[in-house]
Amino acid sequence: MAELCAVIGVGQTKHAAIRGDVSIPGLLREAAFRALEDAGITFADIDAVILGTAPDQFEGIMMPELFLADALGAVGKPILRVHTAGSVGGSTANVAASYIESGLYDRVLTLAFEKQSESNAMWALSPKYPFQPPITSGAGGYFAPLIRAYMRASGAPDHIGCKVAYKDRVHALKNPYAHLHIEDISIEKVKASPMLWEPVRYLESCPSSDGCAALVLAREEVADRHSGPKAWVWATEMRSEPMQFAGRNQVLPQAGSDCAKSLYKKAGITNPQAEIDVAEIYVPFSWFEPMWLENLHLCEPGEGWKLTDNDETTFGGRLPVNPSGGVLSTNPIGASGMIRYAEGALQVRGMAGDRQVDGAKVALGHAYGGGSQFFSMWIVGSDKPS
Amino acid sequence: MSESSAEILTAPYRLKYSYKRTTGPVIGRFLTDLRDGKITGVRRPDGAVMVPPREYDPETGEALSEFVSLPDTGVVTGWTWVAEPRQLHAMSTPFAFATIQLDGAHTGMLHRVVAPDESVMRSGMRVRARWAAERVGMITDIECFVPEESA
Repeated sequence: MAELCAVIGVGQTKHAAIRGDVSIPGLLREAAFRALEDAGITFADIDAVILGTAPDQFEGIMMPELFLADALGAVGKPILRVHTAGSVGGSTANVAASYIESGLYDRVLTLAFEKQSESNAMWALSPKYPFQPPITSGAGGYFAPLIRAYMRASGAPDHIGCKVAYKDRVHALKNPYAHLHIEDISIEKVKASPMLWEPVRYLESCPSSDGCAALVLAREEVADRHSGPKAWVWATEMRSEPMQFAGRNQVLPQAGSDCAKSLYKKAGITNPQAEIDVAEIYVPFSWFEPMWLENLHLCEPGEGWKLTDNDETTFGGRLPVNPSGGVLSTNPIGASGMIRYAEGALQVRGMAGDRQVDGAKVALGHAYGGGSQFFSMWIVGSDKPS
Repeated sequence: MSESSAEILTAPYRLKYSYKRTTGPVIGRFLTDLRDGKITGVRRPDGAVMVPPREYDPETGEALSEFVSLPDTGVVTGWTWVAEPRQLHAMSTPFAFATIQLDGAHTGMLHRVVAPDESVMRSGMRVRARWAAERVGMITDIECFVPEESA
Protein backbone atom coordinates (compact mmCIF):
# COMPACT_ATOMS: atom_id res chain seq x y z
CA MET A 1 0.00 0.00 0.00
CA ALA A 2 1.51 3.29 -1.10
CA GLU A 3 1.97 6.14 1.39
CA LEU A 4 -0.34 9.12 1.16
CA CYS A 5 1.34 12.35 0.05
CA ALA A 6 0.49 15.89 1.11
CA VAL A 7 1.68 19.34 0.07
CA ILE A 8 2.80 21.11 3.25
CA GLY A 9 4.66 24.03 1.66
CA VAL A 10 4.21 26.17 -1.44
CA GLY A 11 6.54 28.87 -2.73
CA GLN A 12 7.00 30.85 -5.89
CA THR A 13 9.05 33.78 -7.09
CA LYS A 14 7.74 37.16 -8.08
CA HIS A 15 7.63 36.36 -11.78
CA ALA A 16 8.84 38.97 -14.24
CA ALA A 17 10.15 39.40 -17.79
CA ILE A 18 13.69 39.87 -16.47
CA ARG A 19 14.81 38.94 -12.97
CA GLY A 20 18.19 40.58 -13.44
CA ASP A 21 18.65 40.85 -9.67
CA VAL A 22 19.22 37.12 -9.22
CA SER A 23 21.33 34.38 -10.76
CA ILE A 24 19.62 31.13 -11.79
CA PRO A 25 20.48 29.54 -8.39
CA GLY A 26 19.22 32.70 -6.66
CA LEU A 27 15.92 32.45 -8.51
CA LEU A 28 15.39 28.87 -7.35
CA ARG A 29 16.28 29.70 -3.76
CA GLU A 30 13.67 32.45 -3.64
CA ALA A 31 10.92 29.90 -4.35
CA ALA A 32 12.56 27.17 -2.25
CA PHE A 33 12.81 29.36 0.86
CA ARG A 34 9.20 30.46 0.56
CA ALA A 35 8.08 26.82 0.35
CA LEU A 36 10.29 25.83 3.31
CA GLU A 37 9.05 28.79 5.34
CA ASP A 38 5.44 27.88 4.55
CA ALA A 39 6.17 24.33 5.75
CA GLY A 40 8.04 25.63 8.81
CA ILE A 41 11.16 23.59 8.01
CA THR A 42 14.68 24.07 6.63
CA PHE A 43 16.87 22.38 4.01
CA ALA A 44 18.09 20.04 6.76
CA ASP A 45 14.62 18.46 6.96
CA ILE A 46 14.55 17.63 3.24
CA ASP A 47 15.43 14.06 2.17
CA ALA A 48 15.55 14.48 -1.62
CA VAL A 49 15.25 17.20 -4.27
CA ILE A 50 13.37 16.70 -7.55
CA LEU A 51 13.95 19.40 -10.13
CA GLY A 52 12.36 20.18 -13.48
CA THR A 53 13.08 22.56 -16.32
CA ALA A 54 12.46 22.72 -20.05
CA PRO A 55 14.89 21.42 -22.71
CA ASP A 56 18.59 22.12 -22.17
CA GLN A 57 18.85 24.42 -25.19
CA PHE A 58 16.50 26.92 -23.50
CA GLU A 59 19.12 28.06 -20.98
CA GLY A 60 22.04 26.24 -22.55
CA ILE A 61 22.92 24.37 -19.34
CA MET A 62 23.45 20.63 -19.43
CA MET A 63 22.33 18.76 -16.29
CA PRO A 64 21.29 21.89 -14.36
CA GLU A 65 20.49 19.80 -11.28
CA LEU A 66 24.20 19.23 -10.67
CA PHE A 67 25.09 22.89 -10.97
CA LEU A 68 22.20 23.77 -8.62
CA ALA A 69 22.81 21.13 -5.95
CA ASP A 70 24.60 23.29 -3.38
CA ALA A 71 22.22 26.21 -3.78
CA LEU A 72 19.36 23.82 -2.99
CA GLY A 73 20.89 22.26 0.10
CA ALA A 74 21.10 18.96 -1.76
CA VAL A 75 24.73 18.06 -0.98
CA GLY A 76 24.79 14.39 0.00
CA LYS A 77 21.12 13.89 -0.89
CA PRO A 78 19.40 12.40 -3.92
CA ILE A 79 18.74 15.01 -6.61
CA LEU A 80 16.98 14.16 -9.86
CA ARG A 81 16.02 16.19 -12.89
CA VAL A 82 12.76 15.48 -14.76
CA HIS A 83 12.41 16.41 -18.41
CA THR A 84 9.08 16.34 -20.28
CA ALA A 85 9.08 19.59 -22.31
CA GLY A 86 6.40 22.14 -21.34
CA SER A 87 4.58 19.66 -19.11
CA VAL A 88 7.70 19.27 -16.97
CA GLY A 89 6.46 21.39 -14.08
CA GLY A 90 3.60 18.96 -13.61
CA SER A 91 5.49 15.74 -14.19
CA THR A 92 8.25 16.89 -11.83
CA ALA A 93 5.74 17.19 -9.00
CA ASN A 94 4.28 13.81 -10.01
CA VAL A 95 7.72 12.21 -9.72
CA ALA A 96 8.30 13.94 -6.39
CA ALA A 97 4.94 12.63 -5.13
CA SER A 98 5.98 9.12 -6.18
CA TYR A 99 9.11 9.46 -4.04
CA ILE A 100 6.87 10.16 -1.04
CA GLU A 101 4.37 7.47 -2.00
CA SER A 102 7.19 4.93 -2.18
CA GLY A 103 7.67 5.34 1.57
CA LEU A 104 11.41 5.92 1.18
CA TYR A 105 11.33 9.62 2.05
CA ASP A 106 9.62 11.75 4.69
CA ARG A 107 9.90 15.11 2.93
CA VAL A 108 10.80 15.96 -0.65
CA LEU A 109 11.48 19.43 -2.08
CA THR A 110 10.43 19.77 -5.69
CA LEU A 111 11.07 22.77 -7.91
CA ALA A 112 10.58 23.80 -11.52
CA PHE A 113 12.07 26.88 -13.13
CA GLU A 114 12.86 28.81 -16.28
CA LYS A 115 14.81 32.01 -16.72
CA GLN A 116 13.56 32.94 -20.15
CA SER A 117 15.45 36.24 -20.13
CA GLU A 118 18.70 34.24 -20.33
CA SER A 119 17.48 31.95 -23.07
CA ASN A 120 15.96 31.95 -26.52
CA ALA A 121 12.92 29.71 -26.15
CA MET A 122 11.19 30.66 -29.37
CA TRP A 123 14.03 29.77 -31.69
CA ALA A 124 15.18 26.87 -29.54
CA LEU A 125 11.80 25.37 -30.40
CA SER A 126 12.16 26.03 -34.11
CA PRO A 127 15.58 24.84 -35.28
CA LYS A 128 16.15 24.65 -39.03
CA TYR A 129 16.35 20.89 -39.53
CA PRO A 130 18.06 19.80 -42.76
CA PHE A 131 15.78 18.46 -45.51
CA GLN A 132 12.68 19.95 -43.85
CA PRO A 133 11.03 23.22 -44.82
CA PRO A 134 10.87 25.60 -41.85
CA ILE A 135 7.10 25.91 -41.33
CA THR A 136 6.75 27.09 -37.76
CA SER A 137 8.08 29.99 -35.77
CA GLY A 138 7.72 29.24 -32.11
CA ALA A 139 4.83 27.61 -30.27
CA GLY A 140 2.24 30.11 -31.52
CA GLY A 141 2.89 29.17 -35.13
CA TYR A 142 2.44 25.53 -34.28
CA PHE A 143 -0.76 25.89 -32.27
CA ALA A 144 -2.64 28.49 -34.37
CA PRO A 145 -3.91 25.96 -36.96
CA LEU A 146 -5.13 23.69 -34.14
CA ILE A 147 -7.11 26.60 -32.74
CA ARG A 148 -8.62 27.25 -36.19
CA ALA A 149 -9.59 23.58 -36.40
CA TYR A 150 -11.28 23.81 -32.98
CA MET A 151 -13.17 26.94 -33.97
CA ARG A 152 -14.47 25.31 -37.13
CA ALA A 153 -15.44 22.03 -35.48
CA SER A 154 -17.15 23.59 -32.46
CA GLY A 155 -18.72 26.59 -34.18
CA ALA A 156 -17.31 28.80 -31.44
CA PRO A 157 -17.69 32.53 -32.14
CA ASP A 158 -14.54 34.59 -32.75
CA HIS A 159 -14.67 36.57 -29.49
CA ILE A 160 -14.08 33.58 -27.15
CA GLY A 161 -10.29 33.85 -27.33
CA CYS A 162 -10.36 37.54 -26.45
CA LYS A 163 -12.70 36.78 -23.57
CA VAL A 164 -10.33 34.21 -22.07
CA ALA A 165 -7.38 36.58 -22.47
CA TYR A 166 -9.30 39.36 -20.71
CA LYS A 167 -10.56 37.10 -17.90
CA ASP A 168 -7.14 35.66 -17.05
CA ARG A 169 -5.51 39.11 -17.00
CA VAL A 170 -8.25 40.34 -14.64
CA HIS A 171 -7.55 37.31 -12.44
CA ALA A 172 -3.83 38.12 -12.47
CA LEU A 173 -4.54 41.49 -10.86
CA LYS A 174 -5.48 39.50 -7.72
CA ASN A 175 -2.19 37.57 -7.75
CA PRO A 176 0.86 39.44 -6.42
CA TYR A 177 3.23 36.84 -7.94
CA ALA A 178 1.86 37.12 -11.50
CA HIS A 179 4.17 38.54 -14.15
CA LEU A 180 1.57 40.60 -16.05
CA HIS A 181 -0.49 43.15 -14.19
CA ILE A 182 -2.32 45.00 -16.96
CA GLU A 183 -4.40 47.45 -14.95
CA ASP A 184 -6.34 48.81 -17.93
CA ILE A 185 -7.09 45.44 -19.53
CA SER A 186 -10.31 45.27 -21.54
CA ILE A 187 -11.79 43.07 -24.27
CA GLU A 188 -11.32 45.99 -26.68
CA LYS A 189 -7.64 46.23 -25.77
CA VAL A 190 -7.19 42.51 -26.47
CA LYS A 191 -9.03 42.79 -29.81
CA ALA A 192 -6.94 45.79 -30.81
CA SER A 193 -3.62 44.07 -30.10
CA PRO A 194 -1.57 42.92 -33.13
CA MET A 195 -2.39 39.62 -34.80
CA LEU A 196 0.65 37.37 -34.29
CA TRP A 197 -0.38 33.98 -35.62
CA GLU A 198 -3.92 34.21 -36.94
CA PRO A 199 -6.23 33.80 -35.00
CA VAL A 200 -3.91 34.42 -32.02
CA ARG A 201 -3.39 38.05 -31.08
CA TYR A 202 -0.52 39.45 -29.03
CA LEU A 203 -2.67 39.77 -25.90
CA GLU A 204 -4.03 36.25 -26.43
CA SER A 205 -0.49 34.90 -25.97
CA CYS A 206 1.53 34.11 -22.88
CA PRO A 207 4.46 36.33 -21.90
CA SER A 208 8.09 35.21 -21.55
CA SER A 209 8.87 35.06 -17.86
CA ASP A 210 11.61 34.36 -15.35
CA GLY A 211 10.25 32.32 -12.48
CA CYS A 212 10.32 29.29 -10.23
CA ALA A 213 7.79 27.30 -8.22
CA ALA A 214 8.57 25.02 -5.29
CA LEU A 215 6.58 22.52 -3.24
CA VAL A 216 7.38 20.62 -0.07
CA LEU A 217 5.74 17.20 -0.09
CA ALA A 218 5.47 14.96 2.96
CA ARG A 219 4.20 11.48 3.71
CA GLU A 220 1.04 11.06 5.75
CA GLU A 221 2.52 10.52 9.21
CA VAL A 222 4.83 13.53 8.81
CA ALA A 223 2.10 15.71 7.32
CA ASP A 224 -0.31 14.80 10.14
CA ARG A 225 2.17 16.21 12.66
CA HIS A 226 2.41 19.40 10.61
CA SER A 227 0.22 22.17 12.00
CA GLY A 228 -0.50 24.14 8.83
CA PRO A 229 -3.14 23.43 6.19
CA LYS A 230 -2.37 20.63 3.76
CA ALA A 231 -3.28 19.71 0.21
CA TRP A 232 -3.63 15.94 -0.02
CA VAL A 233 -2.60 14.40 -3.30
CA TRP A 234 -5.57 12.29 -4.40
CA ALA A 235 -4.03 11.16 -7.67
CA THR A 236 -1.32 11.95 -10.22
CA GLU A 237 -1.23 10.89 -13.84
CA MET A 238 0.85 11.28 -17.00
CA ARG A 239 0.30 10.31 -20.65
CA SER A 240 2.10 11.04 -23.89
CA GLU A 241 1.70 10.36 -27.59
CA PRO A 242 3.81 10.93 -30.70
CA MET A 243 3.71 14.36 -32.30
CA GLN A 244 2.57 12.96 -35.63
CA PHE A 245 0.71 9.85 -36.64
CA ALA A 246 -2.05 9.11 -39.11
CA GLY A 247 -5.46 10.05 -37.78
CA ARG A 248 -4.08 11.93 -34.79
CA ASN A 249 -6.54 14.34 -33.23
CA GLN A 250 -4.16 17.19 -32.47
CA VAL A 251 -6.93 19.46 -31.19
CA LEU A 252 -8.24 17.06 -28.56
CA PRO A 253 -5.39 14.55 -28.17
CA GLN A 254 -6.17 11.05 -26.99
CA ALA A 255 -3.27 11.20 -24.49
CA GLY A 256 -4.90 14.18 -22.74
CA SER A 257 -8.30 12.52 -22.66
CA ASP A 258 -6.90 9.20 -21.41
CA CYS A 259 -4.78 10.96 -18.81
CA ALA A 260 -7.80 12.82 -17.38
CA LYS A 261 -10.00 9.72 -17.32
CA SER A 262 -7.34 7.70 -15.53
CA LEU A 263 -6.67 10.56 -13.12
CA TYR A 264 -10.32 10.85 -12.12
CA LYS A 265 -10.60 7.09 -11.69
CA LYS A 266 -7.54 6.98 -9.41
CA ALA A 267 -8.90 9.94 -7.43
CA GLY A 268 -12.31 8.32 -7.01
CA ILE A 269 -13.97 11.10 -8.98
CA THR A 270 -16.95 9.87 -10.98
CA ASN A 271 -18.37 13.23 -12.06
CA PRO A 272 -15.50 15.67 -12.64
CA GLN A 273 -17.85 18.46 -13.74
CA ALA A 274 -19.55 18.38 -10.34
CA GLU A 275 -16.74 17.30 -8.04
CA ILE A 276 -13.87 19.61 -9.06
CA ASP A 277 -14.13 23.07 -7.49
CA VAL A 278 -11.29 24.89 -9.24
CA ALA A 279 -8.96 24.11 -12.13
CA GLU A 280 -5.52 25.47 -12.94
CA ILE A 281 -5.05 24.51 -16.59
CA TYR A 282 -2.07 25.16 -18.87
CA VAL A 283 -3.45 27.80 -21.28
CA PRO A 284 -0.57 29.52 -23.12
CA PHE A 285 -2.84 30.79 -25.90
CA SER A 286 -6.35 31.92 -25.00
CA TRP A 287 -8.29 29.38 -27.06
CA PHE A 288 -6.74 26.51 -25.16
CA GLU A 289 -9.12 27.15 -22.26
CA PRO A 290 -12.20 25.81 -24.07
CA MET A 291 -10.12 23.20 -25.89
CA TRP A 292 -8.69 21.75 -22.67
CA LEU A 293 -12.04 21.93 -20.84
CA GLU A 294 -13.31 19.51 -23.49
CA ASN A 295 -10.18 17.34 -23.50
CA LEU A 296 -10.37 17.14 -19.68
CA HIS A 297 -14.05 16.07 -19.75
CA LEU A 298 -14.98 19.12 -17.70
CA CYS A 299 -17.85 19.83 -20.11
CA GLU A 300 -19.67 18.06 -22.90
CA PRO A 301 -17.85 17.76 -26.25
CA GLY A 302 -18.12 20.96 -28.29
CA GLU A 303 -19.37 22.96 -25.29
CA GLY A 304 -16.11 24.27 -23.82
CA TRP A 305 -16.47 27.71 -25.38
CA LYS A 306 -19.95 28.07 -23.88
CA LEU A 307 -18.58 27.78 -20.35
CA THR A 308 -16.17 30.57 -21.17
CA ASP A 309 -18.83 32.65 -22.88
CA ASN A 310 -21.27 32.28 -19.97
CA ASP A 311 -18.70 33.41 -17.37
CA GLU A 312 -18.66 29.94 -15.82
CA THR A 313 -14.83 29.92 -15.74
CA THR A 314 -14.34 32.94 -13.51
CA PHE A 315 -15.05 33.64 -9.83
CA GLY A 316 -18.66 32.78 -9.04
CA GLY A 317 -18.95 30.52 -12.09
CA ARG A 318 -19.49 26.76 -12.23
CA LEU A 319 -15.77 26.04 -12.53
CA PRO A 320 -13.30 28.89 -11.94
CA VAL A 321 -10.35 28.27 -14.28
CA ASN A 322 -6.95 29.83 -13.60
CA PRO A 323 -7.87 32.20 -10.76
CA SER A 324 -4.12 32.91 -10.58
CA GLY A 325 -4.15 34.49 -14.03
CA GLY A 326 -2.72 31.33 -15.53
CA VAL A 327 0.01 30.85 -18.10
CA LEU A 328 -1.43 33.81 -20.02
CA SER A 329 -0.18 36.03 -17.19
CA THR A 330 3.01 34.16 -16.18
CA ASN A 331 5.06 31.79 -18.32
CA PRO A 332 8.44 30.63 -17.08
CA ILE A 333 7.99 27.59 -19.35
CA GLY A 334 9.48 24.82 -17.23
CA ALA A 335 7.86 26.22 -14.08
CA SER A 336 4.41 26.87 -15.56
CA GLY A 337 3.08 23.37 -14.91
CA MET A 338 4.24 23.41 -11.29
CA ILE A 339 2.71 26.85 -10.79
CA ARG A 340 -0.62 25.29 -11.87
CA TYR A 341 -0.14 22.51 -9.30
CA ALA A 342 0.99 24.99 -6.63
CA GLU A 343 -1.97 27.29 -7.20
CA GLY A 344 -4.36 24.33 -6.96
CA ALA A 345 -2.71 23.33 -3.68
CA LEU A 346 -3.03 26.90 -2.34
CA GLN A 347 -6.74 26.89 -3.23
CA VAL A 348 -7.57 23.71 -1.29
CA ARG A 349 -5.41 24.90 1.62
CA GLY A 350 -7.44 28.11 1.69
CA MET A 351 -4.23 30.13 1.24
CA ALA A 352 -4.81 31.74 -2.18
CA GLY A 353 -5.36 35.25 -0.81
CA ASP A 354 -7.39 37.58 -3.03
CA ARG A 355 -7.59 34.90 -5.71
CA GLN A 356 -9.13 32.33 -3.35
CA VAL A 357 -12.17 30.51 -4.75
CA ASP A 358 -14.72 30.31 -1.93
CA GLY A 359 -15.08 26.83 -0.51
CA ALA A 360 -12.55 25.18 -2.85
CA LYS A 361 -11.98 21.63 -1.58
CA VAL A 362 -10.89 19.79 -4.72
CA ALA A 363 -8.51 21.21 -7.34
CA LEU A 364 -7.17 20.03 -10.68
CA GLY A 365 -3.63 20.93 -11.75
CA HIS A 366 -2.82 20.38 -15.45
CA ALA A 367 0.20 20.81 -17.68
CA TYR A 368 0.93 19.96 -21.27
CA GLY A 369 3.94 20.19 -23.53
CA GLY A 370 5.47 19.47 -26.91
CA GLY A 371 2.98 19.50 -29.79
CA SER A 372 0.04 18.93 -27.39
CA GLN A 373 1.51 15.51 -26.70
CA PHE A 374 2.83 15.34 -23.11
CA PHE A 375 0.29 15.59 -20.28
CA SER A 376 0.71 15.74 -16.51
CA MET A 377 -2.12 16.18 -14.04
CA TRP A 378 -2.94 15.91 -10.40
CA ILE A 379 -5.93 16.22 -8.12
CA VAL A 380 -5.43 17.68 -4.65
CA GLY A 381 -8.02 17.96 -1.89
CA SER A 382 -8.45 19.64 1.49
CA ASP A 383 -9.25 16.24 2.97
CA LYS A 384 -7.46 12.95 2.69
CA PRO A 385 -8.69 10.83 -0.23
CA SER A 386 -11.56 8.60 0.82
CA MET B 1 25.73 -2.65 -53.54
CA SER B 2 27.56 -0.75 -56.22
CA GLU B 3 28.98 2.62 -55.33
CA SER B 4 26.75 4.43 -57.79
CA SER B 5 23.43 2.91 -56.70
CA ALA B 6 22.95 4.82 -53.47
CA GLU B 7 24.12 8.23 -52.52
CA ILE B 8 23.33 8.84 -48.86
CA LEU B 9 22.61 12.52 -48.48
CA THR B 10 23.91 14.46 -45.54
CA ALA B 11 23.56 18.11 -44.66
CA PRO B 12 25.07 20.30 -42.00
CA TYR B 13 22.85 21.00 -39.01
CA ARG B 14 24.23 23.95 -37.12
CA LEU B 15 22.55 25.10 -33.92
CA LYS B 16 23.42 28.57 -32.77
CA TYR B 17 21.58 30.37 -30.00
CA SER B 18 22.57 33.37 -27.99
CA TYR B 19 22.30 33.17 -24.22
CA LYS B 20 22.72 35.64 -21.42
CA ARG B 21 23.81 35.09 -17.82
CA THR B 22 22.84 37.10 -14.80
CA THR B 23 25.70 36.86 -12.34
CA GLY B 24 23.80 37.56 -9.13
CA PRO B 25 25.01 39.57 -6.14
CA VAL B 26 28.15 37.54 -5.30
CA ILE B 27 29.79 36.54 -8.59
CA GLY B 28 28.62 39.91 -9.89
CA ARG B 29 30.48 41.70 -7.09
CA PHE B 30 33.65 39.68 -7.79
CA LEU B 31 33.56 40.59 -11.48
CA THR B 32 32.75 44.26 -10.88
CA ASP B 33 35.67 44.49 -8.45
CA LEU B 34 38.00 42.85 -10.96
CA ARG B 35 37.07 45.63 -13.35
CA ASP B 36 38.19 48.06 -10.64
CA GLY B 37 41.48 46.19 -10.21
CA LYS B 38 40.52 44.51 -6.93
CA ILE B 39 40.16 40.87 -5.94
CA THR B 40 37.24 40.02 -3.65
CA GLY B 41 36.51 36.75 -1.90
CA VAL B 42 33.76 35.65 0.43
CA ARG B 43 34.02 34.30 3.98
CA ARG B 44 32.37 31.03 4.99
CA PRO B 45 30.83 30.63 8.46
CA ASP B 46 33.94 28.71 9.63
CA GLY B 47 36.13 31.68 8.66
CA ALA B 48 37.57 30.19 5.47
CA VAL B 49 37.81 32.61 2.55
CA MET B 50 36.83 31.43 -0.93
CA VAL B 51 38.05 33.17 -4.05
CA PRO B 52 36.53 33.22 -6.57
CA PRO B 53 33.58 33.59 -4.21
CA ARG B 54 30.58 31.28 -4.26
CA GLU B 55 27.01 32.49 -3.82
CA TYR B 56 26.15 29.63 -1.46
CA ASP B 57 28.23 27.59 0.96
CA PRO B 58 29.26 24.43 -0.91
CA GLU B 59 28.54 22.24 2.11
CA THR B 60 25.63 23.79 3.96
CA GLY B 61 23.96 25.76 1.17
CA GLU B 62 23.91 28.87 3.38
CA ALA B 63 23.88 32.18 1.51
CA LEU B 64 27.28 33.88 1.77
CA SER B 65 27.61 37.66 1.85
CA GLU B 66 30.68 38.62 3.93
CA PHE B 67 33.05 39.98 1.30
CA VAL B 68 36.79 40.03 1.91
CA SER B 69 39.33 42.13 -0.02
CA LEU B 70 42.43 40.17 -0.95
CA PRO B 71 45.85 41.20 -2.18
CA ASP B 72 46.84 40.29 -5.73
CA THR B 73 49.67 38.07 -4.51
CA GLY B 74 49.70 34.41 -3.62
CA VAL B 75 51.26 30.99 -3.95
CA VAL B 76 51.17 28.44 -6.78
CA THR B 77 49.79 25.18 -5.40
CA GLY B 78 49.79 23.20 -8.64
CA TRP B 79 50.69 23.83 -12.27
CA THR B 80 51.07 22.35 -15.73
CA TRP B 81 53.35 23.83 -18.38
CA VAL B 82 52.02 24.56 -21.86
CA ALA B 83 55.19 24.45 -23.97
CA GLU B 84 53.53 24.87 -27.33
CA PRO B 85 50.43 27.03 -27.03
CA ARG B 86 47.80 26.48 -29.69
CA GLN B 87 45.61 29.10 -31.28
CA LEU B 88 42.81 28.79 -28.70
CA HIS B 89 45.12 29.17 -25.71
CA ALA B 90 44.95 32.96 -26.06
CA MET B 91 48.69 33.30 -25.34
CA SER B 92 51.20 32.73 -28.10
CA THR B 93 54.19 32.15 -25.82
CA PRO B 94 54.69 29.27 -23.35
CA PHE B 95 52.90 29.60 -19.99
CA ALA B 96 51.58 27.48 -17.12
CA PHE B 97 48.01 26.75 -16.11
CA ALA B 98 48.19 27.02 -12.35
CA THR B 99 46.13 26.89 -9.19
CA ILE B 100 46.93 29.99 -7.18
CA GLN B 101 46.03 30.44 -3.54
CA LEU B 102 45.95 34.17 -2.88
CA ASP B 103 47.35 35.44 0.40
CA GLY B 104 44.52 35.22 2.93
CA ALA B 105 42.44 32.79 0.84
CA HIS B 106 41.72 29.16 1.70
CA THR B 107 40.87 28.01 -1.82
CA GLY B 108 42.82 27.90 -5.05
CA MET B 109 41.94 29.89 -8.15
CA LEU B 110 42.68 28.62 -11.63
CA HIS B 111 44.64 31.07 -13.75
CA ARG B 112 47.84 31.18 -15.79
CA VAL B 113 51.41 31.99 -14.87
CA VAL B 114 53.83 33.55 -17.32
CA ALA B 115 57.44 32.70 -16.47
CA PRO B 116 60.72 32.85 -18.42
CA ASP B 117 60.70 29.05 -18.78
CA GLU B 118 59.43 25.84 -17.19
CA SER B 119 62.45 25.50 -14.90
CA VAL B 120 61.24 28.51 -12.91
CA MET B 121 57.93 26.82 -12.10
CA ARG B 122 57.44 25.05 -8.79
CA SER B 123 54.63 24.53 -6.33
CA GLY B 124 55.07 26.99 -3.51
CA MET B 125 56.46 29.77 -5.71
CA ARG B 126 55.11 33.23 -5.03
CA VAL B 127 53.28 35.08 -7.78
CA ARG B 128 51.67 38.44 -8.34
CA ALA B 129 48.81 39.40 -10.68
CA ARG B 130 49.55 41.34 -13.84
CA TRP B 131 46.45 43.35 -14.58
CA ALA B 132 45.10 43.91 -18.07
CA ALA B 133 45.35 47.46 -19.35
CA GLU B 134 41.66 47.51 -20.27
CA ARG B 135 39.35 45.82 -17.77
CA VAL B 136 35.77 44.80 -18.51
CA GLY B 137 34.62 42.68 -15.56
CA MET B 138 35.93 39.26 -16.60
CA ILE B 139 38.46 36.86 -15.08
CA THR B 140 40.79 37.88 -17.92
CA ASP B 141 41.00 41.34 -16.32
CA ILE B 142 43.89 39.58 -14.60
CA GLU B 143 46.05 39.03 -17.68
CA CYS B 144 48.17 36.45 -15.87
CA PHE B 145 50.28 35.91 -12.75
CA VAL B 146 54.04 36.35 -12.83
CA PRO B 147 56.79 35.27 -10.40
CA GLU B 148 56.80 37.82 -7.59
CA GLU B 149 60.53 38.60 -7.79
CA SER B 150 60.18 39.54 -11.47
CA ALA B 151 57.06 41.65 -10.94
